[in-house]
Amino acid sequence: MIKDECHGAEIEKDVLTPILQRAVSFLNDDMKIRVVSQSLQVICPKKVELKKNTSMIGTGGSIQVIITMSYEDALLEELVKAFLEGEEAAEDEMDEIRESVSSEFVNTVVGNALSNPFDGTTLTITPPVLIYEAKSLFRHKSSAIAAASITTSFGDILLTVIGPKESFADTLQFKEL
Amino acid sequence: MLNILVVDDSLIIRKNLKKYIASLGHNVIGESVTGAQAVEACRELKPDLITMDITMPDMDGVSAVKMIKEFDNDVNIIMITSHGQEDMIVSSLKAGAKGYILKPVNEEKLANAIETIYAQETDDYDDDLLEY
Repeated sequence: MIKDECHGAEIEKDVLTPILQRAVSFLNDDMKIRVVSQSLQVICPKKVELKKNTSMIGTGGSIQVIITMSYEDALLEELVKAFLEGEEAAEDEMDEIRESVSSEFVNTVVGNALSNPFDGTTLTITPPVLIYEAKSLFRHKSSAIAAASITTSFGDILLTVIGPKESFADTLQFKEL
Repeated sequence: MLNILVVDDSLIIRKNLKKYIASLGHNVIGESVTGAQAVEACRELKPDLITMDITMPDMDGVSAVKMIKEFDNDVNIIMITSHGQEDMIVSSLKAGAKGYILKPVNEEKLANAIETIYAQETDDYDDDLLEY
């Protein structure tokens, strides 16, 4: 990732930190997947390389951003095992199960993390969307991307938050966007 | 034993809910992946209880609850959501849901929800936000 200067105190405090914290606790406590390390930096890259398995969710209302979570194959397989709770699944439904696990992870983490917006206003989230065959995200001049990562014993998750450039000002006024 | 309709657009959530329901000794009478399908399934299958996802494409869970309650006021509905936002929960309860389970869902939360709802039918109903 190519780093670039950006402001991001509010996006870090109100969006990235709660999502990262909930993702870590969900992995450790609910999925029993050990988190080895985490990076919590608003690095605002010009370009983000996505992994093969990526899910995206949008938020509306007081926080208007798009959030993506991109998983390495081995980690997604481990998440699938955890969600299945020891049950076997038919081979012909495994692709759909992988997709629904990828979506449910981001849906649960983002929904739990952003339930109570910082300013007490209303927040909505969209159903998750899977991104197929996307390789990278490029930042347009009017937008900004913040990225963070979590390293587990089965691989990494890359978390990105994409929003209008104004979203990444040090003092946010999301409702005026 | 209750006849339960499972409504969720996520395959893994439907699979797990069906497993928990069977383990608790109840019967899965059907499953739907959209709110609109849920309305039709409820009309046709007449379940005792519905587990209803809130965020779904096509028609969200709150709208589906409103439509279902227009023709079946007796069915009990538990909302399933990742999103603990009070506005959404209040809308669900006003529409006629009995309470909600915050994801991640597990068998214990579902058992507690079912037990509480059917205990309420013999006690005074407490109209607070009911998270199970």
